[in-house]
Amino acid sequence: MKLYTYCLVEDLDAFDATTRGISGAAVRSLQIDELAVLVTDFNADTVAVTRENALDHAAVVRSVLDRTTPLPFRFGTLVTEQQLRSYISARKPALQTRFAHVRGCVEMSVKIIREVSDEDKTEVRDEITSGTSFLEEKRRELLGTKQKTIEASKIETWLREQVDGLVRDEQVTMRPSEKLVLAAAHLVERDKIPQYREKMTAARKNRRELHFLFSGPWPPYSFANIELEFKTQFGVS
Amino acid sequence: MELSPENPLTAEPEIETAHAEEFVEQLRCVTDTLPSRINIDAQSVEQGLAKLVLTLIEFIRRLLEKQAVRRMEGGDLSPEQIEELGLALMKLEARLQELKTQFGLSDEDLNLDLGPIGRLI
Amino acid sequence: MSSSFDQIIVSEEWESNELSLLETLDHVLSRGLVIAGEITISVADIDLIFIGLNVLVSSVETAHEVLRKRQTE
Repeated sequence: MKLYTYCLVEDLDAFDATTRGISGAAVRSLQIDELAVLVTDFNADTVAVTRENALDHAAVVRSVLDRTTPLPFRFGTLVTEQQLRSYISARKPALQTRFAHVRGCVEMSVKIIREVSDEDKTEVRDEITSGTSFLEEKRRELLGTKQKTIEASKIETWLREQVDGLVRDEQVTMRPSEKLVLAAAHLVERDKIPQYREKMTAARKNRRELHFLFSGPWPPYSFANIELEFKTQFGVS
Repeated sequence: MELSPENPLTAEPEIETAHAEEFVEQLRCVTDTLPSRINIDAQSVEQGLAKLVLTLIEFIRRLLEKQAVRRMEGGDLSPEQIEELGLALMKLEARLQELKTQFGLSDEDLNLDLGPIGRLI
Repeated sequence: MSSSFDQIIVSEEWESNELSLLETLDHVLSRGLVIAGEITISVADIDLIFIGLNVLVSSVETAHEVLRKRQTE
């Protein structure tokens, strides 16, 4: 018998026992040391990656967000109770640091699409058969990439300036060669959400050439990663 | 600040955009590379190893390409050397593509996020 | 990933909620706490190499085991 895990919670009282989880199964709270884990008893070895299951997972984690800030597990985490207990005991300090970091906050997402100009698209050309034209093509690609990377960095800097003072932490992913050039997760204190939203609305008006997607509030999926602390403990830089 | 039932968040995360179709198209890549069933704790070791090795090779391959382009621009290679270098790299790219196909890995699978250095691809 | 996996079905019924779903998937599938052993769902950041080391260790052990068995056959 395995456990499907949804999230870690500091505050046990925050859990509503009627929430349904994966495939409509019951969700219960398992106490491990001073933390609680929301789990579903699960009989199979794998979890189907379906729309329903993903939404169920998100819903369970979301259900506690009104009252506390959980540390969400990634979708698809199936473990034995023993593995779960080992995992938590081994990482107690790191988990506590994480909880302190996200306490009182939620995650807000910003995604930015930038139109890629047509000149960047490679022309239809004859199949490259010579080594020299292969390298020349690579050179063209690299020059284009360098330029795009500079532009992407500028967007990242601009965004950071917009949220200065409003976010406790950020996680930014950049893909300079893609249309979806930037995806940012912001850790925002709950009482700052209205301000944050206002700021984002205003900021978007100043950058008409960019397309924005805002979403939130989310549980802090992007800020749950404790591997950094783990690495530091073991001297891996 | 106080967390309390009097201060509830909205029921669901809100999504706000003027360009839904575009974002749907871009975000679809997330679902395109997923297996249908997963157990994050117990994926095949061999598959994970193949991915790790191929990612590292891909990383090196791209460094080699960049280096070759730099040498070519620097003007210290003869035309014959450029041709040889280009052919070798072309073959390497093709071979790696074969290996990716063999292991059922996509470009996205090998796209290491190197943190501050940025993404591999 | 094996070649026999089925894709998540993206069909017409999703249209209206598709963006919402994709945003949710982007959160729950690519982020969150990971219990060691995770290898293939996504290529995370530098963690890949760190987690990969765990994989390498167990792979080497398995390899030794296989070799040992062969020698005794």
